[in-house]
Amino acid sequence: MTAEPSESTTEEKKVGVYICHCGGNISDHVDVDQLAKNVAGIEGVTVTHTNMFMCSDPGQELIQADIKSGKINRAVVASCAPSLHELTFRSAIKRANMNPYLYEHANIREQVSWVHHGDTATAKATHLVAAAIAKAKNLLPLEPIRVDAVGHVTVIGGGVAGMRAALDLSRRGIRVALVEKTAFLGGNTARLDRLVPTNDTGENVVRTLGDAVIADPGITVYGCAQIVGYEGYVGNFKLTLAQSTLKCSTISHEAGDWVSNTGLYVGEAGKDGQWVVESGAIVFATGFTPYRPREGEYGYLNVPEVVTLPDFIQEMAQLPAGGRPLTIGGRTIRRVAFIHCVGSRQIPGIHEPGGDGKLNEYCSRTCCSAILQAAVQIRTRYPETRVFEYYRDIRTYGRGQEDYYDRASDQNVLFFRYEPESPPLVERIERRPYPLRVRVKDTLTFGEELTAEVDLVVLGVGMQAHPIGDLVDMMKLPTGMDGFLQEVHPKLRPVEIANNGILLAGACQAPMDISEACNAAQAAAAKAATLLIKGHVELDPYVAQVDGSRCTGHGRCVEVCPVEGAVRMAAGKASVNPALCTGCGICVGECPEQAIDVNGWTLKQYEEMVDAILAA
Amino acid sequence: MSAEVNPDLIVDLKKFGVKSASACFNCGNCTAICSLSSESTPFPRKVIRYLQLGLKDKLMESPEPWLCYYCGDCSETCPRQADPGEVMMGLRRYLTSMYDWTGISRLFYTSTVFEVFSILLVAALVGLGFYTFHGPMLTDRVALNVFAPNTTIEILDLIMLGVLSFLLLTNAYRMFRAVMGDPAQYPELTPFEKQQFQNRIIRGIPAPLFISEAKEFVVHFLTQKKFIACGTASQRMQWFNHLLIMTGYSTVFLLVVVGLRWFQRDEIYALWHPVRLLGYYATFAILYGTTIAIVGRIKRSKTVYAHSHSSDWAFLVLLWLTTFSGILIHGTRMLEMPLTTYYLYVIHLMIAVPMLVIEVPFAKWTHQLYRPLIVYLMNVKKRAMARA
Repeated sequence: MTAEPSESTTEEKKVGVYICHCGGNISDHVDVDQLAKNVAGIEGVTVTHTNMFMCSDPGQELIQADIKSGKINRAVVASCAPSLHELTFRSAIKRANMNPYLYEHANIREQVSWVHHGDTATAKATHLVAAAIAKAKNLLPLEPIRVDAVGHVTVIGGGVAGMRAALDLSRRGIRVALVEKTAFLGGNTARLDRLVPTNDTGENVVRTLGDAVIADPGITVYGCAQIVGYEGYVGNFKLTLAQSTLKCSTISHEAGDWVSNTGLYVGEAGKDGQWVVESGAIVFATGFTPYRPREGEYGYLNVPEVVTLPDFIQEMAQLPAGGRPLTIGGRTIRRVAFIHCVGSRQIPGIHEPGGDGKLNEYCSRTCCSAILQAAVQIRTRYPETRVFEYYRDIRTYGRGQEDYYDRASDQNVLFFRYEPESPPLVERIERRPYPLRVRVKDTLTFGEELTAEVDLVVLGVGMQAHPIGDLVDMMKLPTGMDGFLQEVHPKLRPVEIANNGILLAGACQAPMDISEACNAAQAAAAKAATLLIKGHVELDPYVAQVDGSRCTGHGRCVEVCPVEGAVRMAAGKASVNPALCTGCGICVGECPEQAIDVNGWTLKQYEEMVDAILAA
Repeated sequence: MSAEVNPDLIVDLKKFGVKSASACFNCGNCTAICSLSSESTPFPRKVIRYLQLGLKDKLMESPEPWLCYYCGDCSETCPRQADPGEVMMGLRRYLTSMYDWTGISRLFYTSTVFEVFSILLVAALVGLGFYTFHGPMLTDRVALNVFAPNTTIEILDLIMLGVLSFLLLTNAYRMFRAVMGDPAQYPELTPFEKQQFQNRIIRGIPAPLFISEAKEFVVHFLTQKKFIACGTASQRMQWFNHLLIMTGYSTVFLLVVVGLRWFQRDEIYALWHPVRLLGYYATFAILYGTTIAIVGRIKRSKTVYAHSHSSDWAFLVLLWLTTFSGILIHGTRMLEMPLTTYYLYVIHLMIAVPMLVIEVPFAKWTHQLYRPLIVYLMNVKKRAMARA
């Protein structure tokens, strides 16, 4: 699992330079023929070519032919951004039996032709290609780092996302430990009644997944368990689990029992105590927590007739079927007001930050449909009960969700729209017949102030990241400003996190509904499976390497390394664990002896590039 | 000042033909497309919102429903199929019932049973009256003025006119008070104006303004020229058809109520006689106009005809039958069929009288007064507000 570059300094450096027109994207502004002439004379350049599309098969074959005929042993392609085609050319080179790391990419499209024109464009392109040639001459063949991987995944969180991921992994033959903090599977879904847009019940969804999870011999469910220790790296994580069944499960149930509004009891699957689980990958499915309004926010806690949507849904779920009129807590509810965006889309200067000093500036995405669904349910089951909705915007974005708006509107649900700076005001009034008055400046009514008397106010609370600060600290996980775990790239790598081997499933990443959480869970499971299925993991070789002859062992590199265990002192010298090293290069800057370097981005290579730019 | 929401009103309005207002999400496309909506009186969106909220007082004060001539552009543009044009139509029915202090209008619009019953009752009373008090039925010639002397009928006509006018005008006064709003909203009179107008102030507005704008009332009463502004050729046809019905009806109304001594004659006028010509014009205009409207409503040929409240049918059918029975009387008189003429005459009045008694002060005919009155009052209001 080392990444020793094979020394081949003695061999003659023959660099091939391939310049792409990119159809005109580049050649309309950069004189590619002139560019080829400019760099052809640079020492070590044996071949220059231009091509309309280097990334095309004929373009790639050009490079492969030169390799096979022995004309070149280093390649530079000047084309688009490396994020687009670097991998294309490395693969082409590899197929021609040359080490794919003897390749350098010069970006003359995004960094040149799209931003410069005429002679300056050609001049800058010359600089960049010259630098790439200089680096290419100093490239050493590298080998990807290969680490053995354990065919086991730990899924943290037993909600729908966690269960979905566990099942998918198990079906691919990967053993799973499903770690759930409570004694129940189902998470927030278990506390829901009817789901949008299928009208299925939360219970049914949880039981479908939960029964399969419990029955699956490949999945070990640890209820009442937490992760208390973490070490290792992708393919070889070592997680310490602590299980304490006494603490979290006081009522005795049989495994597989459904407990209404709570979830599926997981039983005594483990034992009390602590032990270490070895996993090749970790899937986070820690979910969300509903926003809890501040005391006095829309009268919450001060006024008993103000409740949150999750609480209201539970109350409704417990009502007998066919019972009329709508009666909650012994009171007949003739009019209900729902307030949208409570604890979501908060604006600095308008909303008060929560206990952690943070505002929830994001849209929680699920509340609009959930409120509309509740409203439709009331109007259908209790037609005498009138429903008012106070919204900022209605965002029923998913398939079948706009129908709920249509149905609510057909069933005479009355909508009001408020501006964030003048939210509805909930007041208690002593005179009968209604206990509450909601006052709002309604933008649908040209900013006029309207009052409505109601029996109940329901706050459509949003989602907050589940508090998993201990895990975030322990594993050094990146979180966004919103407190949710942050993916590497929202589009290109949506379920991966910067920590190699840790994947995201569901609402731990952002507010999402059950469908989206299951989507993410399946993506995370697929990603974990592709990672582990070969029995080993290949990593980029761009990691730090210590020159033992220069290292004096003062340990500055260990102090500054941001990744626990990536570099440590062994026998008085620094030693890198390439599986953990991220190749950030901080240690390189710190070492006074220049005894540590990052493969593929060495100081020597940088120096040569700078010299080439100055000389060109 | 805040308004108290009443979610029950929209349910109540279903009976007036407002069926789809809850679908409205207040986008305002209807107001944008409307060729008659203006900045000071924007519609239909605003009143539809008031309706959703159940703001009864705001609706009462809104002149907008009477400024709409239902071209149907809004209903065709509406992205929610809320049918704003038909909502405006329903609102006019609702407002008519709100202005009416007797409560008859409300019953007429909200209960089909009452609608049919009231028409039949009045018809029966008319029939009974003739059965009891009719004059001799001469059979040697058609002597309508012996059977039902025009002098007697004229007196009854004038009594009816008095009663109906009283009802309609008191209702119109209630409308006037509502749409002119709080007198305190108008700018105060300057000392000079106080002297000039010598305190002749009506609900905060100097009385001379009412007189100087009166011309507007007459023009709009006679031409419905706002209707022409609706736009397209088919809508201008709609206006023309409407004008036919209106002028035909008004002509014959005048002939019957104040000109009966010239209209109900036993001798046949020469063809060129003005009264006979007017009679022909009115007959043709109403029959043509109502037939087009009836066929349109049966076929639902355009947006404006897509929905028909029972009161729409009652109005058209009564008017058509009145005219048709009038033609028959004219025919039987010329053919010198005395008995048939007398019976037809009674039937004719058993249709015409209920139509007038119900429709003029309580139902659709009110708009003949309300529409030009609103246009006129809005002009007065604009001038009163602009005085400052």
